[in-house]
Amino acid sequence: MAETTSTADSNGVALRSSIDRSLRHPVMFFFTSGAAWLAVAIVLGLVASAKKHAPEFMNWCSWLDAGIVDAAHMSALVYGWGAQAAFGMIIWLMARLSRKECTNVGTILWAGHIWNLAVLGGLICIMSGNGSGVPWMEFPGGIWIILLLCYFAITIWSLVQFQVRDAGHVYVSQWYLLGALLWFPWVCITALLFVFVFDGNAVMATGIAAWFKGTTFLLFFLPTALASAYYLAPKVTGRPVYSYNLALFGFWALAFLGPWSGMQKLVGAPIPQFLPYAGAAAMVLILIPAMSVGVNILKTVAGYGEVVAESPSLRFTASGVVLFVVYGFLSLTLHLVPSMKMTQFSYSGYGLDILGFYGVFSLCAFGAIYFIVPRITRREWLSHRFIKWHFFLSLYGVASIVICAVIGGMTQGQGIEDISQPFGTMAERASQYGWGVTLAWGFLLVANLFFCLHLLLMWARLGRRSSHPTLLKAHHAESPHGPEGEVDNIGSVSA
Amino acid sequence: MTFKAFIFGLLATFGLPWLVAIVIPYSAMRSLEPVKFEEGSGVEGVYIPKRDGRVTEGSKIYGQQGCATCHTQLIRPTYAGNDVHRDEWAGLRKSADNPDTRRETLAMDFEGEDIAHIGMSRVGPDLSNLGRRLDQHLAGTGLSPEDWLLRHLYNPRGIKNYRKGTTAIPKRSSCPSKAGLFNETSSAGAKGNALPVEIRDGRAIVPGDKARILVSYLASLKKDTLGQPLPAALNYNPQAPAEEK
Amino acid sequence: MDHTRDNPLKRFTAFWIALLLVTAFGIACIILRPMTHGQVDTVSDVAGKERLAIRADIDKAQADTLNEDALEKALEAKTADLIKEPSAGKMPVPGAAPAPAAKPAETPAE
Repeated sequence: MAETTSTADSNGVALRSSIDRSLRHPVMFFFTSGAAWLAVAIVLGLVASAKKHAPEFMNWCSWLDAGIVDAAHMSALVYGWGAQAAFGMIIWLMARLSRKECTNVGTILWAGHIWNLAVLGGLICIMSGNGSGVPWMEFPGGIWIILLLCYFAITIWSLVQFQVRDAGHVYVSQWYLLGALLWFPWVCITALLFVFVFDGNAVMATGIAAWFKGTTFLLFFLPTALASAYYLAPKVTGRPVYSYNLALFGFWALAFLGPWSGMQKLVGAPIPQFLPYAGAAAMVLILIPAMSVGVNILKTVAGYGEVVAESPSLRFTASGVVLFVVYGFLSLTLHLVPSMKMTQFSYSGYGLDILGFYGVFSLCAFGAIYFIVPRITRREWLSHRFIKWHFFLSLYGVASIVICAVIGGMTQGQGIEDISQPFGTMAERASQYGWGVTLAWGFLLVANLFFCLHLLLMWARLGRRSSHPTLLKAHHAESPHGPEGEVDNIGSVSA
Repeated sequence: MTFKAFIFGLLATFGLPWLVAIVIPYSAMRSLEPVKFEEGSGVEGVYIPKRDGRVTEGSKIYGQQGCATCHTQLIRPTYAGNDVHRDEWAGLRKSADNPDTRRETLAMDFEGEDIAHIGMSRVGPDLSNLGRRLDQHLAGTGLSPEDWLLRHLYNPRGIKNYRKGTTAIPKRSSCPSKAGLFNETSSAGAKGNALPVEIRDGRAIVPGDKARILVSYLASLKKDTLGQPLPAALNYNPQAPAEEK
Repeated sequence: MDHTRDNPLKRFTAFWIALLLVTAFGIACIILRPMTHGQVDTVSDVAGKERLAIRADIDKAQADTLNEDALEKALEAKTADLIKEPSAGKMPVPGAAPAPAAKPAETPAE
């Protein structure tokens, strides 16, 4: 593989290659089972959206009732796909950046399998009506404990690797990874104790569950995506990061703002008034770290438009970063006080959540997967067309969901605030936007099928044996790479 | 930046909101002082919102069935939204039979519940005063709120709206039909609990335990001031004008 | 491998430091639990004060009018009474002397 680092010392290559070899099984496991859960989550999302405008859809299955299927959809998306994609990214990135091989493959694989079983068990509980009943934390308490223990078993080795790294400069991605690794258990244990174990006021418990939801995205998934973006942008283009100081500033801005977010879901609730508004303020100001990251990464790849367009990993990553800036602006708009009046209990919140989770985190995760998998399987991706379809359908699907949900939400909210409009009229109008969301989930399902199939082929070691990376441009006979014998080129110029 | 400096920074930036937004408000909310009625208000003692019905279990089932995804239970103060003014969501409007009983949601409104189902979105109407609305509109029709709720849960699109004067069966309710909470049994075994739904001869649909508990909870949702006047300290409503138009 | 930074001892301590760090706020929650779970005067406590005061008054009044000695004496007297009476033909009283056996009938009547 053409590594675009300037110093090609053979020691470095040998070390990298041994790190990749040590991580092959755990990382491939997380990526493939994550991709499978993503397919499940997308199907559930499709059903959940359909139920809003066609409530008779699949009526015969009580496991797919509206409300229950929404909880199942988000849980599968976050803990089935998101967490496992994040684990794969975290353990690979930390190992590479700390230059340490993974020595706990067995533990990690066991924990990964148990994680899968726990998520499956949790989903069965939710869908059969035996969840916890806590919004945003619908898994039963016992499942949370298992997930937390698996989390320790998977990620503690990365913390150890960081501490025993060779002396030298610490790269910004490592700070983001450390942050993510520590923030998640801090948030999770606190929320579990206050919501499930301690007894207190019910409204405050709901507030803490909302805090858990908000901070899990901003302080675990987002930092993981940003760590990957800060790693891949310089790596693929061969240029250093535009500004290390700006990167640190962005990190600490996120560290400062992130832990306040979440309670904006409870504006107007009978809890201390500053809590929801502090959450809203944090969400308004999230534009600051978003802009820092956006400027930094985009300036790093500025002038390398062709590289961005051709490299699958960089194309996905750069899109994810651009969508992070969009997320910052959307979050600002939705969390100003006049908007919150309208959009607090509307589809708009869902649109923002999907923009963050799918548009930012998942696109960056796809970018990381397209980069990492060839290195750990020592094969190249088979089809640039599959990747292109995956990219365009994902982007289109996410954009549709976000636009339909946000606009639909604003219609909903405006209708509820206008007391001269009867509730039924407004509900009917807003539900029409649901059709757009359902259709968009359909596109995402197709995108995911391309992705899953491609990934499974790689997992089965059926990738191309080649020293040239799969790039997103059409291959002609005169291509500098020459005829590669790719799936796409079968029957054309022979080698 | 050293590891130590990083950890210190992380602990500080996380620890402050953890303390200020989670721990301290939680302990403060846990020990809310009961609010006394002021002198001369005519009511003795402290404000105790009373609820009947199976609140704790019903609240759990409500959450497990995902009702909070589409229904809210929060009447926001007017700086945060117009809920108080909408459609009897906050209570009854002034009429010949009752004063204006509307009010915002209070912290002690969720007494007996483990988690407050504030709600995620309003695909369906707010339920804070569902019990009150049912009592009001179904009075004199011979149909009890629990019975209406059971029929609604079984098939939301097969029953008329409870509001007085509704004649048509609305086709547009997005509420899922919770037929899974009901059991099919022989008509002899139904013993008067049978729902009036079309079914083959000799069979009947009866509510299961979860359906009964959930319905009891829903019918208990009366978070207004009818029969439970607010002490001045909790009354954020503006003074009503002498003549309400 | 650079032995000054990566050796089994270093890894061992790194593991426990990592574990301490991840559980830091969990431990903090538990340490601060007494602060978050102090004694509360709930609404039911306050509402019950008056009711419980009345109950206490009634209990006290009843306790005052209850004359233990007189009650004891009356019970003993009645018990002795019941024990004295022979119980042949009647429900036997516990502690009473056994009833004398009935004389067997000599000849059947007529």
